[in-house]
Amino acid sequence: MNWLTWRQHRAQFLFGAATLAVITLFLVPSGLGIWHTFRSTGLAGCLAVTGRDCGDLASTFSDRYTGLQFTIPLFMILPALLGVFWGAPLVAREIEQGTHRLAWTQGLTRLRWMSTKVVTLVLATLAGAAVFAFLLSWWSRPFVAASDNRFSFGVFDLRGIVPVAYALFALAAGVAAGALIRRTVAAMGATLGAYVAVRTGIELWARPHYEAARTISYSFFGSGPHPGSGDWVLSTRTVDRAGHLLGNGQSLDFNVLHARCPDLPGPSSGFVSKAPIQACIQRLGIHLQATYQPGNRYWLFQGIESAIFVGLALGLLAFAVWWVRRKVA
Amino acid sequence: MTTPAALTATALGKRYRGHWGLRDCSLEIPAGRISALVGPNGAGKTTLLHLATGLLAPTAGTIETLGRTPGEDPDLLPRIGFMAQDVPLYRSFRVREMLEFGRRTNPGRWDAELAQGRMDRASIDLDQRAGTLSGGQRAQVALALALAKRPELLLLDEPLAALDPLARREFLKALMEGAVDGEVTVVLSSHLLTDLERVCDHLVVLSGGRTQVAGDIEGLLEAHRVLTGPRRDVDRIEGVAAVVQQATTDRQSTLLVRTDGPIIDPAWSVHRVDLEELVLGYLGQPNATALPAPRLARTGAEVSR
Repeated sequence: MNWLTWRQHRAQFLFGAATLAVITLFLVPSGLGIWHTFRSTGLAGCLAVTGRDCGDLASTFSDRYTGLQFTIPLFMILPALLGVFWGAPLVAREIEQGTHRLAWTQGLTRLRWMSTKVVTLVLATLAGAAVFAFLLSWWSRPFVAASDNRFSFGVFDLRGIVPVAYALFALAAGVAAGALIRRTVAAMGATLGAYVAVRTGIELWARPHYEAARTISYSFFGSGPHPGSGDWVLSTRTVDRAGHLLGNGQSLDFNVLHARCPDLPGPSSGFVSKAPIQACIQRLGIHLQATYQPGNRYWLFQGIESAIFVGLALGLLAFAVWWVRRKVA
Repeated sequence: MTTPAALTATALGKRYRGHWGLRDCSLEIPAGRISALVGPNGAGKTTLLHLATGLLAPTAGTIETLGRTPGEDPDLLPRIGFMAQDVPLYRSFRVREMLEFGRRTNPGRWDAELAQGRMDRASIDLDQRAGTLSGGQRAQVALALALAKRPELLLLDEPLAALDPLARREFLKALMEGAVDGEVTVVLSSHLLTDLERVCDHLVVLSGGRTQVAGDIEGLLEAHRVLTGPRRDVDRIEGVAAVVQQATTDRQSTLLVRTDGPIIDPAWSVHRVDLEELVLGYLGQPNATALPAPRLARTGAEVSR
């Protein structure tokens, strides 16, 4: 069976390995360059000292590499391609070409056929995705350190252990779609659609709520959730002393301020000095309220997200094996 | 006849989305024989064979293959050789790799020498890709795969359909060589009868998802006659159990009948039937049946006129 799995899927395996090799050839040299810049500009040294302001160094560093942002969507879609090109054809192509009638009437049971193939593909996926996730985590560490944000879209998703879970989920979705739909191209499309839908849904609606978010209030002129600890700020609102939202709550609108502090010069009176505005802000008790996930929950969130996707993957694979064994022919 | 059955179906039914591929089908295929499974397209031949291998699960009734329930008994698959319709092979595999596939997926049963020998005899290059083989060569490779697992029961679904007359003859020759040694039961499905006549000794006619005729070919031929005589209303003829089909012109009546004794009425001239006439006669009259002894009493009443 292992021979058959290799013989039938070797083109896919080789193509996957080649893709990984190309990615490695890109990530390793460019990563070495990034790390060199990170150290030689003094940014690494600056960030190592807590409390120092490295803003200028960091923004210079980030600006230098903005051209690399194009890679983020590419890396985001990569796990889905495993599902599309490895998972979806597994059963669908056999049925499309009628060869399931050959494969499933030999001496081995369909359960054996299916489980051998699935286990082999899962192991290959885990290995490939682990290499990918490790390389990408290393490569992007300077950027994450400079921007102090491990949680944002396109960063959380590409680092740590979640890429491995995503790849496994994509593979499982592909296998299940192929078994259910039985047509390769349609199953590929369904796999991609399902992957994007589930990933987006969890990213937008589930991830911010893995743990109850914390709320913090701080002075208008102070600083927010702990800088340097990588907190994930979910929302910030500008409120007055009583907690009522001021204006749209996002930014401080001078017109809104003028209505509440009539002694402020009107908006038409040209330049207004800082002092009366500060006085007004103080009198109204204007401050900011932020909800956030503390930075030290990063690995907890990585773990929860991975567990969700691994769980979904195992469920889909179990379904696919059962479906092929009982329903398909 | 008390030979054990290789295949037993009881009130077997398989429903696809919206229609029945096989319905209320009961039949017995005896072991050790070469059976022809005949019927028009859509009669349920492929459905029956897929149910027999466990590729499909029945919607109604039961089927037993070599005394086991297909699809549930893991010991059954190694004992069946199945050649599916349109002869599926992995197109990108070389012939050598197809044989390797057979060896790997039939552990403990694979007869590599037999497979190799069949390829030699058919002059098939082991390095050729399966996708580039001719129809006849594909059939030879598929047959070798099915035979080399040393099956007790060989099920062949329309193996001749895509073959030219020469390839057909070669295939049947190879089948006979392979099936002779060893006690292998063979079931061949086809909508072509002439080729099967030479190799088969048992016949099952499926029509509209039901068994219409089943029996030993010799016996069936012996039990049927064509009667011709001047046109008249046919009421009761001594020696005729049932009239299967009846054709009349202005002056003459031609009857295909199943007999239960000698026909001595001098008004009729009596001829033997050949197998094709017999099968076509039944297929033309979907309600007529000729089934083995236990059901004869009942089916006799069902024969239409």
